Amino acid sequence: MLMPPFTLHHPSSIQEAISIASNIIADGETFDWVAGGTDVLPNYKWRINPKPHVISLANIPEAKQLSPYDIGCMTPLSQLTEVNGMHPLIVEAAGKIASSLIRKSATVGGNLCLDTRCFWYNQSEDWRRSIDWCHKADCGTGADCRVIPNQNTLCVATYQGDLAPNFMALGATITLISPDGERVIPLHDFYQLDGMKKNILKQGEFLLKVTLPSNAFELTGSYQKLRVRESWDFPEAGIAITWKKGDYKSLKIASTALESIPKLHHEQVDSINAEGWSKNESIMELAGLVRKSVKPVNNTSLPPNYRRSVVRVLTKRALKNIGCE
Amino acid sequence: MSGGYRQQPGKSSAKRRDGKRVAGQQKFPPPGSGGSNPVMEPRDLNFIPESVGGKEPQPAGSHIHDRIRTGTVVGKPLQLVDSNAKVTGQAWYGDDIRLTNETIGKILRSPHHYAKIISIDTTRVEALPGVISVATGQDAPNRFGVLPVTKDEHAMSVEKVRHMGDLVACVCAETEAIAIEALALFDIEWEILEPVFDRKKGLEDVDEPIHWRGKYHLSRTNVQKRVFQEFGDRSLIENPHAASHGKWSMEGVHHGFTEPHAVVAHWDPNGRLQLYTPQQVPHYTHRALSTVLEVPMHQINVVRTFVGGGFGGKSDPFPHEMCAAILSRKSGRPVRITFDREEVYWINRGRHPSDIEVKMTADDAGRISGFDIDALIDGGGFASFGHVTSYYNGVLATAPYELGSFHYTGARVWTNKPASGAMRGHGAVNTRCAVEVGLDEMAEQMQVDPIDLRLANLLPPHSRTITGFRITSNGMREALEKVREGSDWDNKFRKLPLGKGIGVGCGFFISGSGLPIHWDPNRFPHATVHIQVDMDGGVTVHTGAADIGQGSTTAVAQVVAEVLALPIEMIHVRSHESDTSPVDLGSYSSRVTFMNANAAIRAALEIREQILNAAWDMLGYHPNTLVLNDRRIYYKHDPSIGVSYLQALHKAQEDKGALIASGAYRSPPMGGVHKGAAAGLAPAYSFSSYVAEVDVDVELGLVKCTNVWAAHDCGKALNPLAVKGQIIGSCHMGLGQVLSEKMVYGRTGHLQNANLLEYKIPSIHEMPHVEPIIIESCDPEGPFGAKEAGEGPLLPILPAVVNAVYDAIGVRFRDLPLTPDVVFKGIEKKRKSLKLEDSLDLPSPRLEYGPMQEPLVLRAAEHKVRDKARQRTEDTSHYVNGVLFGFDPNIPLEDQVDGWKMATEPDPEQLAELGLAGKAWLKKTQREMGDDA
Repeated sequence: MLMPPFTLHHPSSIQEAISIASNIIADGETFDWVAGGTDVLPNYKWRINPKPHVISLANIPEAKQLSPYDIGCMTPLSQLTEVNGMHPLIVEAAGKIASSLIRKSATVGGNLCLDTRCFWYNQSEDWRRSIDWCHKADCGTGADCRVIPNQNTLCVATYQGDLAPNFMALGATITLISPDGERVIPLHDFYQLDGMKKNILKQGEFLLKVTLPSNAFELTGSYQKLRVRESWDFPEAGIAITWKKGDYKSLKIASTALESIPKLHHEQVDSINAEGWSKNESIMELAGLVRKSVKPVNNTSLPPNYRRSVVRVLTKRALKNIGCE
Repeated sequence: MSGGYRQQPGKSSAKRRDGKRVAGQQKFPPPGSGGSNPVMEPRDLNFIPESVGGKEPQPAGSHIHDRIRTGTVVGKPLQLVDSNAKVTGQAWYGDDIRLTNETIGKILRSPHHYAKIISIDTTRVEALPGVISVATGQDAPNRFGVLPVTKDEHAMSVEKVRHMGDLVACVCAETEAIAIEALALFDIEWEILEPVFDRKKGLEDVDEPIHWRGKYHLSRTNVQKRVFQEFGDRSLIENPHAASHGKWSMEGVHHGFTEPHAVVAHWDPNGRLQLYTPQQVPHYTHRALSTVLEVPMHQINVVRTFVGGGFGGKSDPFPHEMCAAILSRKSGRPVRITFDREEVYWINRGRHPSDIEVKMTADDAGRISGFDIDALIDGGGFASFGHVTSYYNGVLATAPYELGSFHYTGARVWTNKPASGAMRGHGAVNTRCAVEVGLDEMAEQMQVDPIDLRLANLLPPHSRTITGFRITSNGMREALEKVREGSDWDNKFRKLPLGKGIGVGCGFFISGSGLPIHWDPNRFPHATVHIQVDMDGGVTVHTGAADIGQGSTTAVAQVVAEVLALPIEMIHVRSHESDTSPVDLGSYSSRVTFMNANAAIRAALEIREQILNAAWDMLGYHPNTLVLNDRRIYYKHDPSIGVSYLQALHKAQEDKGALIASGAYRSPPMGGVHKGAAAGLAPAYSFSSYVAEVDVDVELGLVKCTNVWAAHDCGKALNPLAVKGQIIGSCHMGLGQVLSEKMVYGRTGHLQNANLLEYKIPSIHEMPHVEPIIIESCDPEGPFGAKEAGEGPLLPILPAVVNAVYDAIGVRFRDLPLTPDVVFKGIEKKRKSLKLEDSLDLPSPRLEYGPMQEPLVLRAAEHKVRDKARQRTEDTSHYVNGVLFGFDPNIPLEDQVDGWKMATEPDPEQLAELGLAGKAWLKKTQREMGDDA
């Protein structure tokens, strides 16, 4: 498969990256950031929204930083290991992503900024042309969404990253860099509800690193991933839960692969906490509430009603795994 | 040795122990004299059969080839002869061919499911700088197809496109980028037609059937082929003691081979076409090229490159092969076309999506009184091998069992989807699964062990199936016994806790198709092999057999090495080019080892005779008293009286130079005379039985297969390592179909998962531990007793897993694949029907033997004695299906019973009660409709 031609830029500092990006924007052209390329480049091969410029973050030293608390966006997933002192939950989640080969190229930044996926969208150009395109890659036609037909305002492509719910449940923050400067925000504020925009990155902005809070290592977590095969597959549903052992108020539940963004389920936890915990019953009730709060659509391998049903089981298992009874 | 040709000794170094190979440094065998090892290796008696004085056990009796065994390589686990090329990356696959001055071809594919092409304007394409040539359907309107009876394909669509991705035009350019750019410049006017996706709708009359067969067309439907077969005594199914009725829906699956299709075509300076393609069946491509290009076959050289997996998916002549040839002829330059993975799915030829209904009954003696099968299969846009598939879905489901009656209706319909075709286990896989699960269900009703039920109803060796297939060797009973023992079945079946299950399934498959597709087997052989031996002692074998990774080249080298008692390194197989290979039908229907190795043995025997005669001249001892062993020929009572292989060879060459021999294989006359009798007919059949163990995640519906005990009767394992590889590989492929693989067509009819991420082939993590168990029943007609091992081992894994899932959770599934959502739904349904809160409280199925268990075990024990006598040919009496029901095998069955039928068309009164596919028999052909049409 031949990729469409593009100009590849290799900045070696944050400053240079920002200036290249600003220049491209000033010229009225578009670009994509690339880290490991395992998400962007397959899409390019399928000619899904390719851009004339691609800026690589590979040579930026700050992007490659790695400590248990600060993880640069260029960190390959294969380095998220116990040996490097990573949080056990992150180690667990990273080990469930794609395959061991892909994890050598794929990065933390790429996984967090993963493009949303949909079987009407992740197809070749010929294929998409034959359905007259879709809202997410409409090639200027204003095409309707193929999942929820007769509308072209909402894209419901599914976010299928594995790391995001885990970092969210650990209370991580991220550092974004743009020509306007740096901003640090909680990861859960990064994603916004639309398969098209997916997150709050502004034009010319990129995710530099993710930072765990100082109490992160006091938290115990579990990540439950539903997939057909234990290799390669994106999650069809994913639930990450953390808590400070014994402290029900500290419970954090995050889900992924169920909607266009990963999300935290504060309300559901709060409502159980308000009632007070009573072992198994509360677990089942909480699991049921989480299930009710997600609305998967039919655009991944497994049907949405099934994916929704098993959220209950995944939540229950994650809670039991972390010793929440 | 003096005055003659001096053999160079060659360099041999100390054997490396680190496994590394250094070019020119490895130790290779000296050809017989002048080498560094003057001492002959002793004969390996462990690989010489008992019947000729060796130590190799022969529980299934002796074989006609025993006396030519030399203990050299047959029966020993050997690495495949082409494995070095593959593991070092030096094997040349389709896309590895680089010819000077090549151009890159790309194919324009239909964006519509079904449409007429009103016009194609190529002006803008031709004007693009860098474009060399353009071709459309009008450049080559002759039709072709893999079966002579159903030639319905064109190089590119001539009038209409029949599925999305169907070929419309092609272009070759200086670079791939230009070729891709050119594809956007075709101006095409379409007339969109109403597509058909649902195979059930294929049975209905439409305005514009996808193909038109003239007077043979069935009304105005999209039915490509209908089959009706009825055998046996239908009265036996009345008042059954047990009955199973299952309606199955099975999704289409693809072969998922690693190498995408690729082709390089070039017209050489003499105007001959050289075509390089990874083909399983180069000969059919050869024929089709000749038809389409209107060039005689002798002006075409088809070069089979290494094949990066085929599994049936590279056995049709393909339109892109024609396209490359057409573009190359137009441009005068080589053209290379390589598919994207998506194009691989669009050309498809995978397993047919099917609706299968199986009704079966057993009588109060635990005999299987009837199989009633109805199979509606979805052929997609073209016929491909479908004519045969339509039969296989029925006729290959009867054996290994002895049946009271068999009733089959099948229909293959065209739909506007990529064409289905032949895939490993061709046509036999889906119905086999349905039948084996039905048997399990009947065993449960009868309260007997399903293995005992099977053991008490097997056909013996040297018998005939209900549809008239001739069974020779038969290792079915041993296979079942071995997996029962290996898996500790008796302590596990119906005894495991919820979520853990064990299940059994059997298989039966052809070892070579009895009739060559293109000619009368009595007038031309199935396979021919040439052998040439020159002064250096090396043996060159020319064969057209296509090695697709299954090891056919190794098999042929092995049998020649065995007959001539030479190290396998001295055998060189040349099989790539049609210019140098004798005609071989190619790698399909698991025919290659059986037919091609038989042909190779004949050719090798001729060489052997010439060499022995020369030794006779030199030694004065008759060849009957001479022994071949390790490059030496000696008097059997005194090994010191002998000559080296090379000395004898040179003596034999004195008058004529290189020794040349040709050997051929022809199948014996066999089978019935009814319509369709040839479908499923084979010179031998393989048998297999698997036990699978599964873990079911009861809450999520995820099924994981953990262990498989896989017994396969391959007659004689010429190369046990290769046979085990085939068994394990078959398990993997079958597991894909039963657990996760499916071609998903969405609501718009588009194939939605034409890539290897969403088309879910099991990964290493999904692979169970497979324990391959080789059963050797020593086939009387197979080469050294061998039968097939490439396809049959796939069949039993599907039902074994489905039955194991039932054992684990008590839910019977009849929709494949068993993706977690399907299993989850089944579990939830069961949970709700039992009014349980939690699926973890589901009861596990249990078995308490009923009154029938003991008689079945007794009968199985009696039959075991019978089978052993027949296998060893101590008992050579006739045995036909029906003896179990009390019939005399020496009198035609129809003369003994009024009700014993053999029909290939339904009676008028049967028309009312036909199944889904059977409804095709309610329609009349255009010819029958006459003026009403």
